[in-house]
Amino acid sequence: MNGAVDPDRSQLGDPLAGVHLSTLVDARSEHPERLAPHLPPTTDDADAFLALNIAYGSDGAVIYVAGGHAVDAPIHVVHIALPDETHNVSCSGVVIRLDDGASATVVETSLGDGDHGGTNTRTTIALGEGSTLSHIVVQDVEPTQVHLGRIAVTQGSRSAFRSHWFNLGGTYGRLVCDVRLAGEEASADLSGLYFGRGSQTLDQQITVTHAAPNCTSRQRFRGVLDDQSTGVFNGGIDVRPGADGTDAQQSNDNLLLSDRAEANTQPRLEILADDVTCKHGATVGQLDDNALYYLRSRGIDEPAARRLLIHGFADEAVEAVDNEVLRAWITERLGHADA
Amino acid sequence: MLHVQNLTASIGGTPILNGVDLEVGPGEVHAMMGPNGSGKSTFAHALAGRDSYEIGGTATLEGADLLTMEPEARAAAGVFIGFQYPVEIPGVNNMYFLRTALNSVRRARGETEIGARDFLAVAHEAMGLVEMNKDFLNRSVNAGFSGGEKKRNEILQMAVLEPRLAILDETDSGLDIDALQIIASGVNALRGPERSVIMITHYQRLLDYIRPDFVHVLVDGRIVESGDHALALHLEDHGYADFVNHDLDDTPELPLTGVAT
Repeated sequence: MNGAVDPDRSQLGDPLAGVHLSTLVDARSEHPERLAPHLPPTTDDADAFLALNIAYGSDGAVIYVAGGHAVDAPIHVVHIALPDETHNVSCSGVVIRLDDGASATVVETSLGDGDHGGTNTRTTIALGEGSTLSHIVVQDVEPTQVHLGRIAVTQGSRSAFRSHWFNLGGTYGRLVCDVRLAGEEASADLSGLYFGRGSQTLDQQITVTHAAPNCTSRQRFRGVLDDQSTGVFNGGIDVRPGADGTDAQQSNDNLLLSDRAEANTQPRLEILADDVTCKHGATVGQLDDNALYYLRSRGIDEPAARRLLIHGFADEAVEAVDNEVLRAWITERLGHADA
Repeated sequence: MLHVQNLTASIGGTPILNGVDLEVGPGEVHAMMGPNGSGKSTFAHALAGRDSYEIGGTATLEGADLLTMEPEARAAAGVFIGFQYPVEIPGVNNMYFLRTALNSVRRARGETEIGARDFLAVAHEAMGLVEMNKDFLNRSVNAGFSGGEKKRNEILQMAVLEPRLAILDETDSGLDIDALQIIASGVNALRGPERSVIMITHYQRLLDYIRPDFVHVLVDGRIVESGDHALALHLEDHGYADFVNHDLDDTPELPLTGVAT
């Protein structure tokens, strides 16, 4: 909360076999060797938002899963911004490390209360050989607040990173993700949904770097933009020399519900290897009049028909979440009935 | 039951329907035939409420003035349109869609809503009618359906919604003979004294399976001839040539019974 771990509301230590949870402050003194490779970069190569985070955010959560352990229960990290006299923005860090062959699900939620401030989070993820991480990010700070999130992932060979974003809250919600596929046959599957209303700006900045051969990456992001909201998708695929056998795909589909809503989509592809499959596609559209008429001809009134179509569009991103409880929670947050 | 008088429709000033008159009584099955571009689909959608036309004339169903109503209100009043090209709606679950539609119509008719379990029984009965697999309910509405599956889904929706007037727009197009028979037996099972059907089709073939009480020929946005099944058989042999650019004095002698104009 406000950048410091609240031990009374947290479960630290070893709650599950193979899992060690600690605060960033404690981990620095207890296991500096574990943490060293994942410490955030110095402010020299950080942008302003990350520099702020590093300057003000010394605490946070460290999640360590020992080799070969499969953790079924989701591990939940909640970033909470409650602005007061001494805190404006909650700056915090999360380190997730899965050793070889481990698997886990980590949920990061950003919430807030108050009429200013927000959350600034940095997440550093290291995946050992053959490990699997499901990482779910729910950004839902108050409409008057700001969220700045940054995720840096380094993947070992044959590791799998599945990431699902729900970028929903804040006047400005920015999620930055850099994935580095460093070992052979690693895969990264990034998907997400941004759902803007009012004058929100929801910004996704993604770069997947294929640095080893035969890796696979997917970026599938959908945006629903109402009122005067703006959605940004800036998705990069960077195939380094020698990363032969790369299979990378990217898609970004936007649904504009208002004449004043705006979607900015920019694919960036840099390919410096041979034998590479890269696909990208982007669409910006409105609700399909034919589909609306079809539903209404079945007796469904116009507002309900619009809701059905909007949620139908958004559902693909929700369906990608395996955990049923999480899916129900997100569904409820999006205001679905029992779809 | 359905009274259509001098129905006109145009798009951007281009006339498509030029004054259609039609009377459909309870339980009757009418076939509407005609060459491409004669206005058959426009007639169907003008009654169902697509808002792309400028409309004139009157159309009432059991006294309700259809032309002033929104599409959803027409559905509640008992109109059902089977689409020639059913719309694919990815992400919207077929069962949820069907139940939402049924409950919307029931609410509008002042009936109680139907719960998930009771609905399942309704859906399974309707699915049996058109020989649909169970997994079909869990798919997205029409998404990735074959042409035959889409048309069967239309009849399934008709069975669930129990309309007073079903307008089936080229429900037979794109079907092989097996699928045609399934669709036809579904429609026949839904025939009844309180349900009228208008079938729009190019081909007589469908009428071998669903025997109409009346057959109408629509050309240039007008009904130019009405008759019984024999008219359809005549069209099969001779095409629409007799009726296109027709001069009424040259209209061939047809074995007409029950002229409805």
